Amino acid sequence: MSTIAETVPRGQTSRRMRIDGWRWGGRVFLVFMLLYTALPMIWMLLTSIKSGFAAMQFPPQWWPDQPTLASYQKLLDPQNSVGQDFLRFFWNSLFVSTATTILSVIVAVPAAYAFSRFTFPGRNFLFFAVLLRNMFPAVIFLVPLFILMRAIGLVNTHGSLVLTYLTFGLPLAIWLLKGFYDNIPIQLEQAARIDGATRFQAFVLIVMPLSAPGIIATAIYSFIGAWNEYIYAYTFLSKNEQLTLPVGIQRFFSENTTDFPGLMAASFIMSVPVVVLFLVLQRYFVRALTEGAVKH
Amino acid sequence: MTIVTGQTEARRPLQPDRSGALRNIWEHRADYAYVLPAIVVMLIVIAYPIYYTIELSFFSTPPGLQLRDKIFVGLDNYKAILTSEVFWKVTWNTLVWTLGSTFVSFVLGFATALALHRDFIGRGVLRAVLIIPWVISAVAASYIWKWIYHSDFGIIGAVLVELGLVDRPPNFIDSVGTVLPSLIVVNIWREFPFAMIMMMAGLQTVPDQLLRAAKVDGANAWQRFWHVTFPHLRNVSTVTILLLAVANFNSFIIPWIMTGGGPSNASHIWITHIYELAFGRQRWGVASAYSVLLFLILMTLGYFYVRALSGNERKEGNA
Repeated sequence: MSTIAETVPRGQTSRRMRIDGWRWGGRVFLVFMLLYTALPMIWMLLTSIKSGFAAMQFPPQWWPDQPTLASYQKLLDPQNSVGQDFLRFFWNSLFVSTATTILSVIVAVPAAYAFSRFTFPGRNFLFFAVLLRNMFPAVIFLVPLFILMRAIGLVNTHGSLVLTYLTFGLPLAIWLLKGFYDNIPIQLEQAARIDGATRFQAFVLIVMPLSAPGIIATAIYSFIGAWNEYIYAYTFLSKNEQLTLPVGIQRFFSENTTDFPGLMAASFIMSVPVVVLFLVLQRYFVRALTEGAVKH
Repeated sequence: MTIVTGQTEARRPLQPDRSGALRNIWEHRADYAYVLPAIVVMLIVIAYPIYYTIELSFFSTPPGLQLRDKIFVGLDNYKAILTSEVFWKVTWNTLVWTLGSTFVSFVLGFATALALHRDFIGRGVLRAVLIIPWVISAVAASYIWKWIYHSDFGIIGAVLVELGLVDRPPNFIDSVGTVLPSLIVVNIWREFPFAMIMMMAGLQTVPDQLLRAAKVDGANAWQRFWHVTFPHLRNVSTVTILLLAVANFNSFIIPWIMTGGGPSNASHIWITHIYELAFGRQRWGVASAYSVLLFLILMTLGYFYVRALSGNERKEGNA
């Protein structure tokens, strides 16, 4: 990410003043963006450690007078009914997202490889058909998919969500992975073929390991997409015990409209897994975008 | 993309043959096996819904009836939509929402990418923090901002009162005039990081030698940006803007959770409106007709999307 040795000596040129102007402008701008990004999240955290009473004051307590973890205890305590529901939503989200991730890697890897390597007729058409899926909003698919799910008996199951999430995760997954495969020299496979490997062996033994960063990026993308999805889960699931986190939280807080500390705590807990996952693996993701989407 | 296996090279001369196309397909039959799982899933979940939506758009579905007892009404649904006042209101909202969110997200994301392009202490941490809003769920984001905009206890209102700018906290999302801009601010909060990542990736492809050469020739920072960096990023920019535009056009969660389209339709955009027609009022026929119109608009956008992408492909082919 940091091959910018060229920028270092800039300060020593004769145009030092003007360049410093740009640099200072950039710093001020970054501070502004940092505040814009971080302040809402900080306010979420500060609210989540207030009591319900302390949150509803005017002027607000800028810093909580008596910080409390009561909201978190309530949400994570399997003994009371709120905690029970919340933990079940959490588990449901985890299950649906993991299943989606595993399946989309299994489906996307061979497809991306084929789009990258083979020149079968209709290849470009199919590739763009896959990409076009990205363009259509969930709403268009809701009614027919609901009917389809009912026909194959998947309504009110997590299977309906996994199947649906698979399709909106796949296009970008295939696109990102194809970029990776395009950058792996074909000579490596040819060498393996000469040594007696089949095309499939060459794929599994040579290409798969080299594209591991791409596969990781694809997996993160699928997981985050499935974890955060709302509209299908909102429409397909009606039983309380099957809801995923976004829908579950919405149901719960449309009944308890004034429990803002609880809502903020729930939002925080819901964000933790994806944010941690993303921050740990972000370099793969950024690299995949660079190679897949940009480096053409 | 340009990688052609030795085998296909050898087969080339066969193609002019009359049976060439079929034979070509047959000889590549094994290749399809790799794509087949993806295609099958796509067909079930895309082709069928699209067909069904088009069919349903010519029918009326009175609330008392089962979906299968629909009544054929021809183009009535389309007429009803295009002559209704709500349609134009919602279309205007969608335009403001899509163009506003896309333009500002792109500019902020691009500017952030440029500002982050030189190395400094804490750059990695800063980048990570800036990406977080893009990663967290739109539902969580909607609730966070709903609380920030709260008309009695919201922090923005409180700050404005403390600073003496207003007497009492303004109603950001409960008043017709401010609701859409307020929601757009939330949407930008969530989306500029995407533009930032894309443009950061793009910036790395700008050759350092060119920038250095331009500097030797006496180009200042702005000239280097405008004449060297920016032309190199034209393709990435196009793809980023199109992806943002499509995503914004298709947004649902932020308006739905924060306002549900209100007050008095001031924050209804196409998707939330369609959803309400279909699932709120059971007017499946009209909702489907809306979806078909939406579809046509998206196909137009899609044409440019594919053209931008295949522009990339072609260039790569020549390289």
